[in-house]
Amino acid sequence: MVSAVNGGGEMNGGKWVGRPLKRKEDRRLLVGEGQYVADLKLPRMVYAGFVRSPHAHAKILGIDATRALAVPGVVAVMTGRDFAEYGPILSDLSVPKLPGETKRPIFSALPVDEVGYVGDLVAVVIAKDKYAVEDGVDAVDVEYEPLPAVIEIADALKPDAPLVYPEWGDNVVYHQHLVAGDADAAFANADHVIEERFTCPRNGASPMETRAAIASYGAAEGLTVWLTTQRSHIKRHLLAEYFKLPDNQIRVIAPMDVGGGFGVKAPLYREDIAVCAMAMKLRRPVKWVENRQENLLNIGQERDQIHEMAIAFTQDGRITGLRDRMYANCGDARVPIYIGIAMPWLGMMYLTNAYDIPNLDVDLTCVVSHKAGLTPSRAFGSFTGRFAIDRMVDLAAKQLGMDIVEIRRRNAISKFPHVTAAGVYCDSGDFDGAITKACEAIDYPGFRKLQSDARAEGRYLGVGFSLGLEFSGLSSQILVPMERQPGFGVATVRFDANGNVQLAHGDQPQGQGHDTVLSQVVADELGITPDDVRVISGDTQSAPFAAGTLASRMASYTVSAAYYAAQGLRKKMASIAAHLLGVPDEPEAFAFAGGEAVWTRDPTKRLTVARIAETALLAPTELPPGMEGGLENTSHFEADAPGMQSTNVHAVIVEAFPDTGRYKILRYVAVDDSGLALNPLIVRGQVQGGIALGISNACFEQFHYTADGQQTTASLAEYLMASSADLPHIETHEHNVPTPHNPLGSKGKGEGPTGMVPGALGNALEDALGPFDVRITELPMTYERIWRLVDARRRAG
Amino acid sequence: MKRDVAITINGERHEATVDHRLLLVDFIRENAALTGTHQGCGYEGRCGMCTIIVDGVAVKSCLMLAVQADGCQVLTIEGLARGDTLHPLQHAFWEKHGLQCGFCTPGMLMTAYEYLKDPDPSEEAIREGLKGVLCRCTGYVGIVDAVKQAIATLEAMPAAERAKWFPL
Repeated sequence: MVSAVNGGGEMNGGKWVGRPLKRKEDRRLLVGEGQYVADLKLPRMVYAGFVRSPHAHAKILGIDATRALAVPGVVAVMTGRDFAEYGPILSDLSVPKLPGETKRPIFSALPVDEVGYVGDLVAVVIAKDKYAVEDGVDAVDVEYEPLPAVIEIADALKPDAPLVYPEWGDNVVYHQHLVAGDADAAFANADHVIEERFTCPRNGASPMETRAAIASYGAAEGLTVWLTTQRSHIKRHLLAEYFKLPDNQIRVIAPMDVGGGFGVKAPLYREDIAVCAMAMKLRRPVKWVENRQENLLNIGQERDQIHEMAIAFTQDGRITGLRDRMYANCGDARVPIYIGIAMPWLGMMYLTNAYDIPNLDVDLTCVVSHKAGLTPSRAFGSFTGRFAIDRMVDLAAKQLGMDIVEIRRRNAISKFPHVTAAGVYCDSGDFDGAITKACEAIDYPGFRKLQSDARAEGRYLGVGFSLGLEFSGLSSQILVPMERQPGFGVATVRFDANGNVQLAHGDQPQGQGHDTVLSQVVADELGITPDDVRVISGDTQSAPFAAGTLASRMASYTVSAAYYAAQGLRKKMASIAAHLLGVPDEPEAFAFAGGEAVWTRDPTKRLTVARIAETALLAPTELPPGMEGGLENTSHFEADAPGMQSTNVHAVIVEAFPDTGRYKILRYVAVDDSGLALNPLIVRGQVQGGIALGISNACFEQFHYTADGQQTTASLAEYLMASSADLPHIETHEHNVPTPHNPLGSKGKGEGPTGMVPGALGNALEDALGPFDVRITELPMTYERIWRLVDARRRAG
Repeated sequence: MKRDVAITINGERHEATVDHRLLLVDFIRENAALTGTHQGCGYEGRCGMCTIIVDGVAVKSCLMLAVQADGCQVLTIEGLARGDTLHPLQHAFWEKHGLQCGFCTPGMLMTAYEYLKDPDPSEEAIREGLKGVLCRCTGYVGIVDAVKQAIATLEAMPAAERAKWFPL
């Protein structure tokens, strides 16, 4: 199918890798045959719905389910007391182990006597159909006594603030002070110092598919859970610990199709646990499909940071020091694996990002509040800091009268490998070349002429750049101390008796196209086509153990595991071929191409891959003496380095309309490094999608909380995700520098592009509004906010 | 309150006795077991995933009751292809990488289906036309390119052949 529609078998030297193949995943999705959790039904299945708190902080005085139980179809109503037997959710397994001081909230799946944010769980209703569930949820009567709430960071840090967890003594869940080099000396010796405060409220990556779970329990089979998750194995391990079951009594299945993840589907959620507990108690399959209101009240909320930042720099534009008092609002922090702190911590580690700033003094304070728990979202912990640092570079240029491109060339990491002041290992990249490519793409010198001509006509055009150092997976060296999870990529290559391949791996997709890319890699190594490869992931019963899909790891780690697994298998296949052909056993003498193993010393001697597989599986008596039967190999790939990074440059041209605050993105140009584009079509899609999310976050999205903690943006009418009409065309260019730390040199592109946006766009907008001397420091850059900035300047004269 | 309905979906007649309040999207997904039509908002018409064609017009099926569709002809994503031959719109989405997770795809295809009737829309018009369906993965670039390609493909066809791709 893939080969037929794409043709050109000789493209790219006959290799599948590097070709823009159409995706294998798409055909089923285009005809409506995708399989998402919400599409599944089991016999005797019942439906769950949650009663949720209307208060940010309140005592539960009583829960009366009488009316709910009288609703036709309602089977059961359960409250926190019904979960008391299981004990607290967080354990050493599900709390990040970061340097610095971490506190841990103690909580259960459902609270017993107190709720901690609007949307918090109160009770669960089980009914025979989903309409009855809604009726039942409405009919549960709960009596609350509202309590004082702390909502924003400043509230939480007041000395007399109500305490979210009184046993802590304050509202600080995590604190770390990161010092590198000598920031005091850098600031004392600087020619210039700039201070600025940057903020981003809550927004994130809410996928179009909400969360969903189906749990089924049998005494013999144990617990089976279909879940919209990025990390089946990790969730199984945590569920096993919680329910005190062995891991092998639990099977977690992320189905073939999960409708977007972006980090939001990485944590274990309390609802997941509750649905499993219901199934175990009722001994019936229980299905829960989150509605959009629940989704927007509870998850997908990230960012929520403040940076009080200062940079020190020299007259020639070299940034020598960075200070930052960084704050993050983690909400209730009752989100296992992350508890809200892992994101700001990694954001701190990447704060200087593409810029080589040798002296650092960063103080990170993470608070808890009566907001929903912070959940990971694409640009993990970095969105606000990236905005801040790229804005700061432009502000320094402005103060010096230096060109915004020149100052970037002077400060970007220029020699690889490089270790940043915070300790991030940067293996490879080329900012200088990418900057040049971006400048050419937007015709930077020509633009400045255009800009001044436009200004003479009363039009306000501006240009902005951002630089990005984006991780391509997190190695075990980072992930083990951070979450006690493995960073390896894992893949098993297994032949069928007819010469087709099953590829099982640990990097289950939520739309990224993993099946296609992995098939291309394996096809090249085994001399077959991508259509000959069937990819398996997401089911703990058939996929190998791995941490799951996160941090752009697929293209660097999982692809490499598939490569080595296939390569290892090829040696065995060559030995079998040599034996069957009666030639010497020299694996390197065989080439694999066109579905055949060819003896290169005499190409008339050749054998089909199918024949080799058939022999290994069905006729082991014909194998070389002493060789084991079967044709299967697993590889766990760890890079021989602490990490791999890609280096990217984005440029934006905007036109601003100061009278209304509106603005229009005229050009968005992305120059991205994927090391080697395994499938350029898919790389482009990742970059464009990441940027679109970044624009949507930077311009429109905000989970708005009132002072008393009501979240007023719990529908898609108020939480404004960008539509096709809100976004520009996004131009992509490749500027690839292969990493030396994996066999194909490839780097991931999922996480990175989003964080590039707010800096580039903020810079472009401030440049466009230059005559008004506004300073853009707050996200999102709504039209109203821009209008207010201009208006304030106009009033000030 | 229940009522008998007969709704023809992709040429197949589905008869059922349904609650008055049953939404058309649930009739399609539950009663007809056609799960290609998705639901991604709070049944409030904001995400567009559930868009279908009812008697030739694109409709968000979460904003319509099943009883309102009694006697109607409905086309869903499952009805676009002719046997194993994909609709030009499906082809174009495939070639232009117009989908990633696939969750918004039914809404995009069925919304675009209606707009294909415009022979030469500008990029801006396509973007306006699709704005009722949200996508979180693609950034819409591949989707817009796909709609352009589908329109060009259909325009190049003889009228009779073209008409076959518009059963409703």
